[in-house]
Amino acid sequence: MTALRQEPDPPVDDLDRRFRAGDDVALREAYDRYGRAVLHLATSMLANRSDAEDVTQATFVAAWLGRDTFDPAKGSLIGWLLGIGRRKVIDRMRASARETRVVETVRQLPEPAQTQPDPDRVVDRLVIADELARLPDDQRRMLELAFYDDLTHQQIATVTGVPLGTVKSHIRRGMASLKRRWEVDGAAPGPRPAGISGTR
Amino acid sequence: MQHLDHDRLVFLALGESEADNGESTHLGTCALCRAEVASLQQVAGLGTETQGLADLPDPPEHVWQGIEAQVRAAEAGPLLTDTRRRRVPEQADTTTAEQTFGAAAESTVTRLDPARRSRRGRGWSGWMATAVTAAAAAAVGVVGTVSVLRPDDPTPTPTPVVVASAPLAAYGATPPTAKGDARVLKDGQLHLHVANLPSVAGYYEVWLINPTTMEMFSVGTLGGGSDALLPLPPNVDLKSYSVVDVSAEQYDNNTRHSGDSLLRGSLTG
Repeated sequence: MTALRQEPDPPVDDLDRRFRAGDDVALREAYDRYGRAVLHLATSMLANRSDAEDVTQATFVAAWLGRDTFDPAKGSLIGWLLGIGRRKVIDRMRASARETRVVETVRQLPEPAQTQPDPDRVVDRLVIADELARLPDDQRRMLELAFYDDLTHQQIATVTGVPLGTVKSHIRRGMASLKRRWEVDGAAPGPRPAGISGTR
Repeated sequence: MQHLDHDRLVFLALGESEADNGESTHLGTCALCRAEVASLQQVAGLGTETQGLADLPDPPEHVWQGIEAQVRAAEAGPLLTDTRRRRVPEQADTTTAEQTFGAAAESTVTRLDPARRSRRGRGWSGWMATAVTAAAAAAVGVVGTVSVLRPDDPTPTPTPVVVASAPLAAYGATPPTAKGDARVLKDGQLHLHVANLPSVAGYYEVWLINPTTMEMFSVGTLGGGSDALLPLPPNVDLKSYSVVDVSAEQYDNNTRHSGDSLLRGSLTG
């Protein structure tokens, strides 16, 4: 078999389904794959590292025990996990505000107030990062050059030696995938425009 | 109305090209195309913020160990078997797991549809029945305030004999690996499980604190092991004394709290 495909299909991945079914190793696989993202969400929002680790732990335990309620058809596993993590982070922030009063009095050591980032934004970012990682290599590479290095499409064509039309095509398709994924798994509330379909 | 080509919307959103006259006119009148450009701009903005997210650090190993231990404890409990039999016919949103399994905020109940509410109601009432018969029946009051306490222990209760529980986390200068769990058992005892406590010159003491009034009382001291069972006063109001605190104490003839809290957590039912 020497025929090369320009864009290989994404690897067959049934973790979402196996997680839902309670497969023995699916929890560990999900944790290996998404534990970093959940912890990042928690550490972005919570000043106390130990709280962030607790929230990460609680998120996976709740997800596993509640896996019956996860529907892979409605969204990705990481999107669902981040949704649970987001709620737990917010609960913990409320609890901490309450406990701080206790401990401040006990210890006489007020903790400085932190300015918090928007949890929805952190979730959205992680969802987009996950989708970016799943894109075919070419699409991801072009988008990273556009996003991180702020290159124009012409500059990307020059840097990579890929014809301009191909660059544009990769970027267009990559953007469409990112947007679809964001609409399914993103955290931002409120309706999103349905958009214009048929972009592939 | 003929919408703009989607390719064009992508490139306009990325700032890669300028809208020509016809396109500007269309965008001025077509909310759908305008919204699509705005969405794509949002996505591009998020894309630029993903740098570095591809290689986030691994969580420390004890996080996984905690997950494993909690899952094992939960799956060994008869309550959970019962809980898991309850299939969810309708589709769940991202919070359903917590609504089903956690001591989730009561305020979310109003958002649940009737089917889900009754399902949840059964679960709670069964569990409440256990709790109400408990010697530490005062803990039942905790349920009502669960939304403002610490509702993130997702295991309902490892076994039905637990009427309230609290994950204990390291506080302040305590090494973050220090942690524990507190469980109020229905026979009126407080089960403490601690791990990685820093060594101290004196001893560890366990307290229950009322966060509203700052009143507290000592429940007892921890021995050398990782677990301790301490009797609670039978009439203790755990709704009021809802914070579990483990402190480092000195043999200094001072029975008051030293102010040196090592672990803390809020009981939830």
